[in-house]
Amino acid sequence: MKKIIIKSIIYLFLVIIVLEGIVRVFHLGKDTPTRFLDSYEVEKWVPNQNGFSVTGNRRQNFSEYHINKSGFNSYREFIPTKEGIEIALVGDSFIEGFHQDYYNSIGKKIEKEIPEIEVYEYGYAGYDFADQLHLIHSYKQQFDLIDNVILGIKFSNDLTRGEYQVATGRLSLESPINKLLKKSKLLVYCKSIGILDPPQELLYRIKTLARPSQPKQSISKEEILKIKQKKEKKYLTNFEHLISKYGYDKKRYTLLLDSRITSPLFISYLQKHNFDYIDFAQLFESSKHNTTLVYDRHWNNHGRELIAKLIIEHIKKKNNP
Amino acid sequence: MVFNSLDFLIFLPIVFICYWFLFSKKIKIQNSFLLLASYLFYGLWDWRFLFLIFASTLVDFIIGQAIYNSNSDKKRKTWLWFSVIFNVGLLGFFKYYNFFIDSWVDFISVFGYDLKSSWTLQIILPVGISFYTFQTMSYSLDIFYKRLKPTKDFISFATFVSFFPQLVAGPIERASNLLSQITTKRTFDSKQCIEGLKLILWGMFKKVVIADSIAPIVDDIFANYTDYPASTLILGVSLFSFQVYGDFSGYSDIAIGTSKLFGIELMSNFKFPTFSRNVAEYWQRWHVSLSTWFRHYIYIPLGGNRVGKIKSIRNIIIIFLVSGFWHGANWTFIVWGAIHAVLYIPVFLMGRNRIYMNTVVAENRWFPSLTEIAQIILTFSLVTFSRVFFRSESITDAFGFIKQIISNFNYESYQHPLGYRMIDYFILLGLFTVYEFRIRRDERAPFKFNSKIVRFITYTLVILGMLLFYDDRIDRSFIYFQF
Repeated sequence: MKKIIIKSIIYLFLVIIVLEGIVRVFHLGKDTPTRFLDSYEVEKWVPNQNGFSVTGNRRQNFSEYHINKSGFNSYREFIPTKEGIEIALVGDSFIEGFHQDYYNSIGKKIEKEIPEIEVYEYGYAGYDFADQLHLIHSYKQQFDLIDNVILGIKFSNDLTRGEYQVATGRLSLESPINKLLKKSKLLVYCKSIGILDPPQELLYRIKTLARPSQPKQSISKEEILKIKQKKEKKYLTNFEHLISKYGYDKKRYTLLLDSRITSPLFISYLQKHNFDYIDFAQLFESSKHNTTLVYDRHWNNHGRELIAKLIIEHIKKKNNP
Repeated sequence: MVFNSLDFLIFLPIVFICYWFLFSKKIKIQNSFLLLASYLFYGLWDWRFLFLIFASTLVDFIIGQAIYNSNSDKKRKTWLWFSVIFNVGLLGFFKYYNFFIDSWVDFISVFGYDLKSSWTLQIILPVGISFYTFQTMSYSLDIFYKRLKPTKDFISFATFVSFFPQLVAGPIERASNLLSQITTKRTFDSKQCIEGLKLILWGMFKKVVIADSIAPIVDDIFANYTDYPASTLILGVSLFSFQVYGDFSGYSDIAIGTSKLFGIELMSNFKFPTFSRNVAEYWQRWHVSLSTWFRHYIYIPLGGNRVGKIKSIRNIIIIFLVSGFWHGANWTFIVWGAIHAVLYIPVFLMGRNRIYMNTVVAENRWFPSLTEIAQIILTFSLVTFSRVFFRSESITDAFGFIKQIISNFNYESYQHPLGYRMIDYFILLGLFTVYEFRIRRDERAPFKFNSKIVRFITYTLVILGMLLFYDDRIDRSFIYFQF
C-alpha cells in the first residue's frame, strides 16, 4: 500500500511538472501584469511589462500586451503637448484591450485613419466612472493638454458609487500568496478554464453550512420595477456627485455608451444637460458580423473597428463642425 | 453522486482508506462498511429511493431462500414469479407507467375516443433502477436454475445489490461473480489497485474528453435538425456514436477500476465495439453485461438457436425488442431494438454470428486488411443509423431527421454552438480511434506499454486532454443514468 501511495505521489508530481512545462511552452495560460497603487492612489499596471493574454482552454484568443510608462496597455507613450492633437480613451477592459494585440487597438485604428492625432488609451479592467474621473482629476495637468477625452460608461455597473475609493478587492490579487500562486502557469491556466471552481464552491458550501439559510422572498413585478427605478435614480445621483467632485469638461469630454443597456432616464438627463455622447447601439445592432469575441464578451476586431469608426466620425465632426 | 464530480473525488479516497485500514480485519465489518458507503453514495443523489433498493434486496434475499428450500417445482416457480413480478413491477411503475398510459390514450384516440391523459403521474425515475432490479432478479433466477446456492448473509447480499461502483449504471453483475467475491475475504493487491487507477484515468478521459466535449454539438444538431443539411445531420449522429460510447464505456471503466481498488473484479462491459466486423460482433462487444443477461435469462430459456430457424429468429426479435424497451419508455428505443434485430438476422442466417467471438480485428497484425476496414465502416454506419432513433426525442423526430437527410442532401460547414474550432474534434476523434485500435486486444489494460517513459507520456497526454477539452458550461451527467 505504501509503495502505491509513494508511486502515485511521484507520478502525480512528475505529471504536474511536465504539464507546467507544456502550459509554458505552448503558452496556454495567460500572463497577468502586476498592478499597483500610485502616489495619487490611482490603480494601474506597473510600467514596462510585456506578456500574452489568452482566452479559452485551447488558446482560442491569443494576444500580446505592452504596459507603457504610464501604466496602461498601449503601443505608445502618453506625452501630450499643447501643439499636438491628442485624444484620450478612458474606460474598463474594453478600452484596455488585453483581448487584442496592443498594436492593433482601437487607438491604433483611429490613428491609421487620422495620422495627425495621437490616441492615448487609459483602459484598466474594472474601472468604473469614479475610477475614470479620479484618474483624470489626479493627472489634471496631463489631461488638460489632451484635446478630447472619451469615457466609456456602462450605466448598470459603472455608477454604483458616488465617490472614488481604492478597490481593495482588486489589489488583494497582488497579495504575496496570490503572487506566489501566479508563478505556476498551470495553476493560472486551471483557474482560467474553471477547473478550480468546484473546489472553491465546495469551500463556500462548507462555509455557508453553518449559517442558517434565509427563506427566499418572492418579489412582485411592481416591486422589481420600484427597485430598478430606485437604483437608476441612485446611479444618476452618483453621476452628478462624481462630476461635481472631480470636474467634468463638457466641451472636451464625451461619453461612449450603448443605449440598448442604458437607462432612458440617464439618456434624457444627458440630452437635457447637453452632455456629449457617442452611442454605438445602432451600429452594433445593424452589423452583419459578430461584434464580440466568441469565447469572451469583449469586442472582436470588427467591433473595435466599428467603435473606432464612430470615434473618428465624432472627432471629425467636433473639429470641423 | 457521480464519478466525474468533486464529491466523488473526496468520497473515494475516504472510503478506500477506511475500507483497507480500519475495517479490513473482519469481512462482515468490511462488507457492512461497503454497504453503508454504497447507500451514502446513492442517498446523496436522492435518499428517498434508498427504500426501493432495500425492498428489492429484501424481497430477492427472502425469495432466493424460499426457492432453494422449496420441494416442488411448482412452489419454486411460484416464488420465482413473485420475484419477477415484484422487480418488473417496480420497473413498470417507475419507468413505464406513463408510457403505457400515454400509448393507451393514443391507441384509443384512433377509434375516436378522446381520453385526456389524466392518469399520467409525475414520477421521478430512480437512478439505476433498471440495473439493480436486473441484478437482484438474476440472483433468484440463478437459484431457480440451480446454478447458485442462496447466501444466508444479508449484509453481503445487500452489498452485492448496491455495490456503489456499479450501482447506477452497471455492469449488471451475476451473483456467481460478484456475490462470491463479496463473501470471500479480500486482500490488498497493489497490482490490482494500480490497474484500477489506470482504468479510472482512462474512463475519465473517455467521459470528459470524448463524450462531454462532443455533447453540445450533438445536442445542438438533434435539437435543430430541421435547420441543418444532410452533412451536418450525418455528422451529428456519427458524433453521437462516439459520445454514447465515450460516456457509457467511460463510466464502465471507472466502475471496473473503482471496484478493483476494493479488491473486486467486475465483468467487462465494452470490448472496443467500434472495431466490430458485423452486427453480431458488435453485440459481443457493446454493453456486454446486458447482452449476456438477456442471453442467459431470456434467449436461452426461449430455446436460443437450438429450436429451428423460425423460432430462433423469433427469439432474436424478442431479445432485441426487450433490449430496446429496457433502454427507455419510448417507441424510439423499441424501433432501435427492431432495427438491430433486422440487422442481426441476416448475419445469423448466414451463420456468421459467432465467427468473430474469439478474435479481434487485425489479429496478429499491425493494420487491418481492406476487407476488415470495409466491414468496420459498414457496421459502424449501420449502428450509427440506428442511433437516430436512440437519440431522437420521439418517433416523429427520428423520421423527421432521416427525411431531412434525404430531402436536404447538401454540404455546409458546421459551426460549433459554443464557438470552438471543429477541426479540434476531428483530430481528437481520429487520435482516439487510432489509440483504441492500438489497445484493442485488452479492454482492461488501456496503458499497456513496455516502456515506462511511453506510459508516463501517455498519462500526461491523457490528463492534458482533459484540461484542453474541459468546459464547465457542459452538462456532465451520464447518458445511461436515464435508463
